[in-house]
Parts: sequence; C-alpha cells; structure tokens
Amino acid sequence: MGYPHKPHPRETVVLSKYFGDADARTYKGWVKRGGYEMLAQALTMEPAKVIDIVKESGLRGRGGAGFPTGLKWSFMPKEKKKPHYLCVNADESEPGTFKDREIMRWTPHALLEGSAIAAHAIQAEVVYIYIRGEFTEPWTYMERALAEASAAKVFGAIKIYLHRGAGAYICGEETALMNSIEGKRGNPRIKPPFPAAAGVFGMPTTINNVETLAAIPPILKQGAAWYKGLSLSSPKSSGTKLFSVCGHVQKPGNYEVTMGFPLKDLVYELCGGMRSGRTLKACIPGGSSVPILNREETESCLLDYEGVVERGSMLGSGGVIVFDDSADMVYQIMRLARFYAHESCAQCTQCREGTAWTTKILERILAGQGKMADLDLLLDLSENMTGKTICVLSDSCAAPVVSGIKRFKNEFEDYIAGRRKPVMVA
Amino acid sequence: MSVTAHPSSTPAGTDAYDPVFSGAVLEQLGEILARYPTKQAGLLPALWIVQRARGWISDRNMAEVAEVLGLTPAYVKGVVTFYTMYHQHPVGKHFVQVCTTSPCNICGAEAVAKAFLETTGAKELGATSPDGKWTVIEVECLGACGFATPVLVDDDFIESVTPDKVPELVRKYK
Amino acid sequence: MADELINLTIDGAPVSVPKGTLVIEAAKQAGVLVPHYCYHPGLPVAGVCRMCLVEIEKAPKLQIACATQVAEGMVVRTQSPQAKQGRMGVLELLLINHPLDCPICDQAGECELQDFTFQEGRPATRYSPDYAKRFNPVEDFGPDVLYVPNRCILCTRCVRFMEDVAKEPVLNVSERGDRAFIGIHPEARLDHPWAGNVVDLCPVGSLLSKDFLHKARAWELDKTASICTGCSQGCNVTLDTRDNIVVRVRPRPNLDVNRYFICDHGRMNYRWMNRGDRIEAPLVQRDGELHAADWDEACERVATLLRGAGGRAVALVSPKASTEALFLARELFTGLDWTGAFQVVMGEEAPLAGVPNLALRAERAPNAKGAELLGYTRDYAAALAAAESAAIVLVLDEPDLVVRTAGTIIYVGTVLPDRARAATVVLPIANVAEEDGTFVNRDGRAQRYFQAKPAPGMARPAWWVFSELAAAAGRGERIGSADEAFERLSASVDGLRGLVPA
Repeated sequence: MGYPHKPHPRETVVLSKYFGDADARTYKGWVKRGGYEMLAQALTMEPAKVIDIVKESGLRGRGGAGFPTGLKWSFMPKEKKKPHYLCVNADESEPGTFKDREIMRWTPHALLEGSAIAAHAIQAEVVYIYIRGEFTEPWTYMERALAEASAAKVFGAIKIYLHRGAGAYICGEETALMNSIEGKRGNPRIKPPFPAAAGVFGMPTTINNVETLAAIPPILKQGAAWYKGLSLSSPKSSGTKLFSVCGHVQKPGNYEVTMGFPLKDLVYELCGGMRSGRTLKACIPGGSSVPILNREETESCLLDYEGVVERGSMLGSGGVIVFDDSADMVYQIMRLARFYAHESCAQCTQCREGTAWTTKILERILAGQGKMADLDLLLDLSENMTGKTICVLSDSCAAPVVSGIKRFKNEFEDYIAGRRKPVMVA
Repeated sequence: MSVTAHPSSTPAGTDAYDPVFSGAVLEQLGEILARYPTKQAGLLPALWIVQRARGWISDRNMAEVAEVLGLTPAYVKGVVTFYTMYHQHPVGKHFVQVCTTSPCNICGAEAVAKAFLETTGAKELGATSPDGKWTVIEVECLGACGFATPVLVDDDFIESVTPDKVPELVRKYK
Repeated sequence: MADELINLTIDGAPVSVPKGTLVIEAAKQAGVLVPHYCYHPGLPVAGVCRMCLVEIEKAPKLQIACATQVAEGMVVRTQSPQAKQGRMGVLELLLINHPLDCPICDQAGECELQDFTFQEGRPATRYSPDYAKRFNPVEDFGPDVLYVPNRCILCTRCVRFMEDVAKEPVLNVSERGDRAFIGIHPEARLDHPWAGNVVDLCPVGSLLSKDFLHKARAWELDKTASICTGCSQGCNVTLDTRDNIVVRVRPRPNLDVNRYFICDHGRMNYRWMNRGDRIEAPLVQRDGELHAADWDEACERVATLLRGAGGRAVALVSPKASTEALFLARELFTGLDWTGAFQVVMGEEAPLAGVPNLALRAERAPNAKGAELLGYTRDYAAALAAAESAAIVLVLDEPDLVVRTAGTIIYVGTVLPDRARAATVVLPIANVAEEDGTFVNRDGRAQRYFQAKPAPGMARPAWWVFSELAAAAGRGERIGSADEAFERLSASVDGLRGLVPA
C-alpha cells in the first residue's frame, strides 16, 4: 500500500507503486519513472485505437458504478462537430473511501497523464478536474504538478484545469458534477440526455473517476491482455483495485489487490485483523451506499463486481468499512442516514423528505422511544425511496437501513424492547 | 399571520461597499473565466475568491458577484446556500471541521469534536468562541477514513487526530 | 411534412400522438390525468416531484411520465399496483412536513395536494406526532405575492417560471435537503410585471396573492370565461365571482394568445367591474334636468332626435366597447354624415420575454382593433372639431370626455359623467363582466367573452341599446342576442367576415 506502510507481499502494486515516494510527485521524478511516455505515444495514435485498447483491458469505472470505461468512451461522437469535454471526478466523498486522495497526493502526474490520454481518446480539448473543496492538500499537489507538466508542454493541445468544489457529496454524481462546473446548484439531471450527447455546457462529455484514469498509462504500457489477466476470479472484473479499508482494523489504509481477492484475507491478513479481543461483526465492502454484510458473508466474499453481488452487496467504490462487535449498528446506520439527509440536494420528494424521516425514526429508536412498527415503516419507506428518483442518493440511504434491519434486527429490537439503554435524547 | 417583510431595495452603491473584484483580483477572475465558455461557470471560483478575501460571503458580496458575472443576486444566493463550505456569516479566526460520519464515528470522532469544543471554549457546534478565535463544526465524510479522525483547521488537513492531541493542536494556532 | 405519429397504449386505450410527445401529454388523449406537480406544459421539464410515476412495460423501474417520450408500441399502466404505491409514497412524504392548514388556507378547494391525496393518498399519516414539522415564517416577496414556506412542496414551478419564462431569475431554491425553501435575495422583490403567475402555478397554498387573501373560498366561486380589458393583447381570462362580485381574475389557457399567463396589470384590473356608482336607469332631459325614465321613453326620445337630424353625426367611443356595440352604434347613423373616433390610453409595454408575441401592450384597451375594422378613426382631434358643428354627438362610455357641440349629446355608458347635464339622453349599459361580446385584439383575433354577473338596475348590454334605438327610429331590425349581432356584422366587415361565434 506504500503509505504509510510498505506494500504487503500479497498486494499487486500498480497504482500505488509510488505512494510515499515524494520524488514521484515532481515532473522530473515522474519522467524518471517512465512517466508521460505513454501520453506521448497515445498522442500519435488514432483515438479509436486507444479506446479499443481500454475496451479490451476490461477496465471498469472505479468511482462506484463499475461501468466499462472503454464502452463509455465509445459513446462520444466519432465525428467531431462540437467541443468535447472530459470531466475528472475527484469529488471523493463516499464514506469509507479515500483512494483518489492518495493518488492525487502521491502520483498527481499519473492522474494528469491518464486524463490527457483519455481526452485524446474522446477527442476532448478541455479537461476539468473537479476536486472537492475539502481536499486542500491534494489540490496543492495537483496544482503544482499541473504547472510543471504544462510548462514542459506534454499535453499538446489539451487544456487541463482544476475546478474546486465547495462541500457537496452529491457533486460526485456525474450530472451534478457537470452542473456544479457550470456554476449551478449541484443538482443531478434527468437522463436522457446522456452526457456523451449533451453534457457540460450542453456539449458531449465523458466523466471518469480518478482511479480509473490513473490506470490508463499502465494499461497502455503493459497492454490490455496484461490488465485483463490481473484477476483471480471473474473474467468480467479485471485489473487491480485500491481498496480503502477503515474502521475497526489494526492497519487501516489503501491496499491494492487484483480483482477477486478474498475480502477475508484483506481484512485479517493485509490489515492485521481486528483489534485485540474483538471479533468482526459487520462490513460494508464498497462505500456506505452499498448493503452491509454480516460476518459470514464478509468472510466468504470475493472482491470483484460479481463476487460482491453474490453476497448481497456491491463493490461500489471499494471503501471497506469494518465494524467489530463493539459497534452499535443501529447508531451507525442512523449516522449514515443523517449523512444522506444532510447531503440530499432537495429535488426529489422521496429523497428530500425520506432521508430526514428515516433519520428521525432511527433517532427515536435510539432514544428508547421506538416501536416494532417502526421497523416495518423503515422498510416501507426504504422501498419508496428506491428506484424512483433522479439519482441514487435516495437508494443509497435505503441500502444500509434495509440491510441493517435484515442482518442486525436483534440490535434494533434491543433498543425497542428496552433491553438496551437509550443513547440519544428525544 | 406574522410576516417577514423584505426591506425595500437599496440601490447598489448608496452605502460604502468595498468591492472585492477590482484591480488584481478582477484580473485573476478574468484569467479564471477564460477557462470556461460561460461566465456563469466562474461562479464557484468567484465565491472562493470572496471567501478568501473577506472570510465569509455577505448578501452584498453576492450582489457584487452577480453583477460581475451577469447573474441575479437571487441566483447567486441559491448557489451559495447549496454548498456548505461557503460561510454566510462571519466565523471565528480559525474554522475547525471534524468528520463524524460512520467510519470515523466508530473510531471516536465524536470525542474529538467534543475535545475541540472544550479546548477552544466554543462550547457549541457552529458557535464562535467568546474570544472570537474558534468556530468548530461537525462535517460529513472528509475522505480520509483510514486516517481517523481527520480534521480541517482552516486549510490545513490534519490526519489521525485523537482527543489527547487536540490541546497541542489548538495551541499551535494563535 | 407531417409529424410522424407514434402509436402506444395507455391504460388499455390506444393513442396516436406526434413523435416527441411526452407520456403525460399523450395520456390526456386517453382521458387519463396522470397526477403531477412540478410538470407544467408552459415550463421546462424538471422531473423533481416524482408524482407522475407510471409503469411502462419492459422498463425495469417506474418512470416519470413528464420526462418520458412516447415510443412505438409502448404500453403504459398508470393504475398498476406498483405505480399507485409509488405515487402514494410521494404523497405521504409531501405531507409529513405539510401543515394541516386546509381550514385557513386559500388554496383549499382548488388544491392539487388535496385532490391527489384524496384520490390516491394514505388515509392516515404514519409521521409520529412526536416530530415537529418544519417551520419557517411567512415571507412577503413583493407587491402581490406572499410565500408560506411551510406549505411549499418544492415543485420549483415558480423558480422555473421566473427564470425561463419571465427571464428574470429572482427566485431561487435555497439550502439543501429538507431544509430547502424558495428564496429571494434581500435586495430583490418579486415585482416583475408578470410575477403574479407564480400564484396560479403554485399547486398548493404556498404562494398566495395578497389581493385575494382570505377573500373567498374556491367552492363559492362561479367561473366565467372572459377576455382581459387591460390592453390590446387580448389575454384569455376567467372571472371568478362570488355573490355577483368579481373577486379574482385568472388566466385561461390559449396557446395562440397568452399561453397560460396574464400580466399583473390585467390581473388587478377588475375592481372597476364592481363599481357601485353606476347609471341604473335611462335618463332624459326635461326642463333643464335629467329625469329617470323607462327604456321606451328614452328610446322614443332618441328616435325623435334621429328623425329630425340631418347633417353630421359624430360618435366618440371607448375602445373598451364590444365589437357588436360598436357595429350597431355605427349602423344607427346610416345615411348621416358620420365620423366615428376613439382614443386609447397608452402605457409602457412589458413583454413576457420567454413567450413570443406576448406582452402587456402599450395600448391599454381591448378593442381598438375592432373599432378600427369598423371604420372608427384614431384622429380624435378631428372628430372633436367635427363634433362642434355636428347635429348629434354620441359618446360611448367615456365619462371624462368634455365635448363642445351645438348639437345634442347622447351619452351611453356605465358610469355617470360629471358633465352629464350636457347630455340630452343618458343610457345605462353593462360592463364587460355583465354581457356577452367580442373583442378584436391587436393581431386581428376576434375573441368571445361571456356574462359573469347581472348588470345593475336597468342597465343593458350596449349592443341591445343600439339595436333598440335603431328599431325605435325605424332604422333597423331588433336584434335578439349578441350572437345574432355578431353574425350580422361578420357578414359585412372586412377582417371579421365569415366568423361565427363558437
């Protein structure tokens, strides 16, 4: 994982190779390590050829949706009639996820190089890197790297700009991100139209995650077949993934492993397992918007897109949040609901009102005033909040609630029955 | 039915307002605007410039930004109130943001927030300490969950804060 | 090139609509009203309220009808259990913070939240009484509009109207999540000349008209189709009356004239329709004084004047008079050397920027064009000069006019002029709310308006008055209705030929 620890032998270090290596942040240092060679090569290739390589590699979006990257790029108009744009999603705000931050802090040039290659592939002349406002440190390193690389003129005609966010999780949703760049409230847009047809400023646009783009130079260098071969299980999931492990483990941090890696090994071996005297109770494998797994499911889960679905959750952003037996699941689910209620943009009725109501019900349960009917109400509310809104923030609030009630019902019942002392005041 | 009336509009320039966008700052904005095909896209950058210059964004500032970018004050206000990092009121000299979302929450984040409140004398989240030096708030996920608990003090992103480290941290900022 | 037609099925009914039609519009053809709030045909689509959820075969999730275009062979089910449950969920969530204000809320009786909740909502709330409802104080947005945030369902129709139709973004959505409300910058007021439309657009009682506040209950109102008299645009309106008093004017949709909107000038322009100081009986000069008479006597008096008159007749008419009245007033003087003229009060034009050819027009009268088509001239000065030596001067509803003449003045109007004594005969007529009639707008469009309340006393529609006068003077047939009057005039007036009342 590179920083602050040395890579574990079972890691497959591609993106995190230079984490902790301060020299790699500089333009000269990056070039010394082979940087910008692939960009120079890509700029001589036909855009369609670059797209083919990425398609062949099987790379899927690392932001959370897992959409095949090459396929997404191919949606852009082949014939260029209007300005094309690439937006880089560096809004990383999904609880449990902190990998893009590391990429920007330690290998800013990897992101710049990958972005420029992508821009070439989709025939975009302008790239906006949308960095969340709270990432003051990554911003500084990106700014510096951008200045150095621009001075060295490596980007050709491609213009790369940094754009600072101002505190809104929802701006990580691709259409909300575009609205935010345009100087509007970060409201997600209804689709159609899709970004490749009418995106930022109404022009054809592709939005990619930081980790996705950082993988592009290695793929071009070592080939699509190599990347595809990096998988322990499913052929549909290739390459490596930076898993951000946090919560109740001995060694939290970012770990880079190939797709299909056992979650059990990630937690117990690479992360040093649980704290002294503790046992694993729950795990959210892909950032807070995916269902919570119980211990059995966690210990039998393979970390690729299909494997996690098999266990009843999703790979998502790869933010692994580990809860040991000391965690109050009801309280943490309330805290997640409160997160979503705070971040709701307010457009859709179900999300605007539902996230707040869900939070209130959970708070009441924690205050010792819950009823059994509240659990049915929460499930019914969650159903109304799922699959009916412009974006999936509403669904994301429902995911921990539904999975939490399903797998940890006893904890809810303890509060309702008075077996557990209230931890909140009504 | 009690009603909150809006004061009749005061034409811009009748009170002594010191504009943010003049001279070098206006030039800086011009450079930024050149990156986008519309002036409106310069709104978030412009608001950051105001907050950096004045510490917060007043209604009068919003009207100025609106004028400079060809928008309406109401539109600018709608955007300012959406993004939580823009301050709509003056805050303490140092602004502390403590993440307390679940991954940090299970690692003791709430105790860190409490420690800041006690040490700075701010007492309540969102309130400014009596000496005007500190405002402490809880924020949602800061994107550094593996380094719990992360804290932003002004623009300084500090990782792995625990309650015992707070007094020294507070001392560092005068 | 004809629009390509798409065939689909909505609730079992086959429907054929042009390509690009939204499902919610196509549903209207099938006689299905899909419940909705944020959608409005006059505004850009937002898709935020989520109320119009419908089931579409082959789509994995419910879709919003307002943002889904029709496709060949599409099968839409608005009443499937899944769709109804989805909409019931939306209604429940809209009501958790919505105050139980119906007994004191102006919108009651014409409230879409009431209507759809009654139709598809839950019978009882599951929102615990332990939770407070969101509260924000009422705000005064400007000249006529009050905002009650507690009732707001954040459909954003008002924001979109001001931004995209009025092209003056003076309203915003402020804050985020369930703290959101409609905001306005403290230095701004909602004083755009078309701002009043946000009150109509608001589906609930959140945006209210101060003018209408607590004046009447929606179910007490009688509604009559009419045409606005504020200017020459000819916006279609509905007059709401309660106990025969006009209490409110609202726009009536007409895609060719005013779409769904009217300006604030027209909206507030109704109090004069309820004036009490009306002429309520015909008046005739006797011994230097005006005395009340009945219609027979008054008509006979005028007939006498007409029979004895030779030479010049001058008619000075109001451009607010109906086309029927203006026609018959002209016909009355056939055979005489006739000059007819009118003058129009002018004001500042105020366009609704987002709609082509729609504005509060500089000409502040509804029927100047109608008068023109009938041969009335705008050369008022010449007409006044001609009046001095005219045998008969007819003044039609211009109470402030000072006429110098050697001849006799016949005053036909609604309100008694100060200088009434100068007239030989004064005849009372109905105003626009008290008769059927036609106005011709500035584009030459003839539009009908209908009677909303009875005329006071013995006042009659002006067309009837001129018809009776003509009959009494042996100069024409009696006409039985406004329709008949229009049929007669459309046979002989260029620009109105061949039109029949709808």
